[in-house]
Amino acid sequence: MTNSNRAFGLLLLAPLLVTGCQVARAPDPEKRIAAGWVRFSQGDFTLALAEFESALAALPKPSPARVQALYGLATTWNLRRPGEEPDRAARLYREVVDAAPADDLAAWSLLALARMPLLAPGAAVKPPEAAALDQAYQAVIDRFPFHEAGEQAFLLQQAARLTISRPEQARSALAALDEFLKTHPKTSYASGAWRLIAHACQVLNLPERRLEAVLKEWQTTERDPVNPGQELALTYWNIATIAEFEVGDFGVAREYYRKLIREYPAEQRVFLAKQELKRMDELEARLRAEPGTGAP
Amino acid sequence: MKAVWAWLKSHYPLLVVGVTFCWSAVAIVSYRKQAVPPGVTTVLRIGHWQLEAGVREAFNQLAAEYRKLHPEVWIVQDAIPESTYGQWMTTQLMGGTAPDILEVGIGVPYNVLLGFYNRYFMPLTAYVNQPNPYNAGTDFEGEAWRKTYKDGMRNGYIEELQEFMLIPLAQFGVRIFYNKTLLKKLTGLEKPPREFREFLTACETIRKQKDERGRAYVPITASAYHAAQWDTYMCAPLTFRAVRLVDFNRDGLVGTDELFVGLKTGRIDFDYPPFEARFRMLRHLTDQFQSGFTGLGRDEAVFLFAQQRAVFITTGTWDAGSLEEQAKGVFELGIMDFPFPTAADPEFGAVVEGQRFERPASSFSFALTRTCKNPEVALDFLRFLSSRRNNEELNRIIGWIPAIRGTRMSLLMSAFEPHLEGVYSTMNTTLGGETIIKWQQVFTLFQIGQIDYAELVRDFKPFYLGKGTAELDEILRNRIRGMVRDEQFLAGYRAKVLAATGAERTSREIKYHQLMTARLVVRDLGAALIRKRLAEGESSTATAPYAFSPAVIEKVRARMGMERKDGDRL
Repeated sequence: MTNSNRAFGLLLLAPLLVTGCQVARAPDPEKRIAAGWVRFSQGDFTLALAEFESALAALPKPSPARVQALYGLATTWNLRRPGEEPDRAARLYREVVDAAPADDLAAWSLLALARMPLLAPGAAVKPPEAAALDQAYQAVIDRFPFHEAGEQAFLLQQAARLTISRPEQARSALAALDEFLKTHPKTSYASGAWRLIAHACQVLNLPERRLEAVLKEWQTTERDPVNPGQELALTYWNIATIAEFEVGDFGVAREYYRKLIREYPAEQRVFLAKQELKRMDELEARLRAEPGTGAP
Repeated sequence: MKAVWAWLKSHYPLLVVGVTFCWSAVAIVSYRKQAVPPGVTTVLRIGHWQLEAGVREAFNQLAAEYRKLHPEVWIVQDAIPESTYGQWMTTQLMGGTAPDILEVGIGVPYNVLLGFYNRYFMPLTAYVNQPNPYNAGTDFEGEAWRKTYKDGMRNGYIEELQEFMLIPLAQFGVRIFYNKTLLKKLTGLEKPPREFREFLTACETIRKQKDERGRAYVPITASAYHAAQWDTYMCAPLTFRAVRLVDFNRDGLVGTDELFVGLKTGRIDFDYPPFEARFRMLRHLTDQFQSGFTGLGRDEAVFLFAQQRAVFITTGTWDAGSLEEQAKGVFELGIMDFPFPTAADPEFGAVVEGQRFERPASSFSFALTRTCKNPEVALDFLRFLSSRRNNEELNRIIGWIPAIRGTRMSLLMSAFEPHLEGVYSTMNTTLGGETIIKWQQVFTLFQIGQIDYAELVRDFKPFYLGKGTAELDEILRNRIRGMVRDEQFLAGYRAKVLAATGAERTSREIKYHQLMTARLVVRDLGAALIRKRLAEGESSTATAPYAFSPAVIEKVRARMGMERKDGDRL
């Protein structure tokens, strides 16, 4: 190799060496963990793993940051596609639970462990046993009854029961949901719980309770201060049609059809909403005209 | 000399690389410095693929207006051909050299685009909920920017990311373009027919006549592309009434699963009059197309129109400028709405319930790149372009429809005003691979007149009902397979929640709760009910979703009695 070629080679290597030194100089584990989540959100799972692993390497002793790095690694191995490694993910989740049993991340790890069978490649063809899934959710609920992960586990457990669409399952879910709302008055998932109650009432053919539940679902929907214009057209539509066709409460039906028309004039269902307003008037006129109703 | 030659020879590859690098560096620098006037401190670059007449001129004109307010800003356009836009955009984004503002929407598959949004573009949610300062002094003053849009900026919102990422600047629509001169010459009509029967009569009159070379005139010029538009805008909406029979989840729409379950359980059949009407109307229309239209490309159909051998063609606002250009000095171009059968129509009057619903959707959408050095200036320019006055002006120059409420448009474009109230199609038979292919086969044979609707049904129905259950199961399995994406998204989103502070954190927490409920908790409930409905099979006693059951009528009757008593007390 001539001297000039050697010099040119060094010139090419210099940026790499500088970059390499920079990488080696920036080991702040918390920043690494944050960067790992950014990479995860962007779908760069390999880079996310590198960030979490590098953070973990810099945190040999037990610490909250180490638990965070472990949780990041576990989540990435669990949810990355392709290249997932569920066994490794499960081991890491358990390590989180063992290292910090009362930590937030232990709750999320337990929930992730409960849901892992649903994400297995064959789950679409052969779903996991309903009883085993129910028990796994129950383990999270028992251990973290007032933690957000526990509340999610509870809702997912009831939703799984309701997908069976049998009255006995729906009754059990309805009772559990009623109890949940009593014992968790401040839950952030009240609206979701009311939605499940409405579904249970649909399966059990309890129209009045179903209407009450969809109204509660709407009333307990959290309002986003940054995004005040949340889409409620379908919510209004649901309330109106349940009131009209199941409860026969045309007052409520009219109120919500009109809200839809007023607040969402360019909505696809406006045409149908106007037709329904007319049909209710027609039905009432017909009933008033029936003999013996004392119509004027 | 020999030594120099030897050195050059041994370093030839390095020299080529070096020279190319220097040349490209100089080219880039000189391009970026070109024609930048003195006093400019900020250069904004906009990348787009709109090479149509008017777009670049419109940007230049609006940029000049903007400079009157902000002389320190200079705006440069990168207008890239549509065919290479995807590659160009990808390279620029990955290389970190993308323009500050980029038009987004073509060139890369949607799933890739989602990744791009995440990595290379800035979320705009916080900004679109603030007022647009360029609307100050108008009745939009103080109103959220997104609320000033005709469609509420719906198309700027990326559902998967739960963020507003795009600022749209125009609207698009589809209508019938017609040769006014030829229509008058051949039919004597001064105005285009608005009613379906009149339209058919005009087409028949046109079809009977020949040009000076003895060639028959074509009433409607079409291709496979255009035929789909005629079906979508005129025929398919006739099926609307089926919503009352098979919209089992009563959400106002008929899903492909609901239609299948309705047909499978015998709650509806292919001989349902609105379904039949769709095909009868389609036959009336295809009879007016030139023969062999299914084998023609879009441009060939336009060619016939430009040659004045056809009177009607359907297309969108995007073609308005070029059609106007082709017609200039040759014939007068008109734009008309789709002719609509009235309630008195002997054939369709019984099934028609209204005009077709058209969702006002804005497009011509721009995003801010993360590499933008002056994002506040770039955002300000987008606000400027989407203020009521400037958006009207931008679209007036281009010849498109403004995206902002309360804007005026040219008389020609006013025919594109969307119908905000109306009916929509309910007959979507696409389930899985095999039934889709079968449908395409029979539908094409129907279009070219080889089979009639009864034959289409005879061929398709047993196949669809036979394969449909397995295909529906596969759809449901795919929903389960797709769950991991939702889990990925929610895990990433939860990390974002934890990283946020203040009002942003509250907002993200609320969104997270709602996303969690919608994407994981209730995701399978609707599918479970559909499966249950399918398993129940035919049920002659079941009430249709939009029918009043005897029990409900009784409740209404009782309630009316109660109200009456309350009224009496008052």
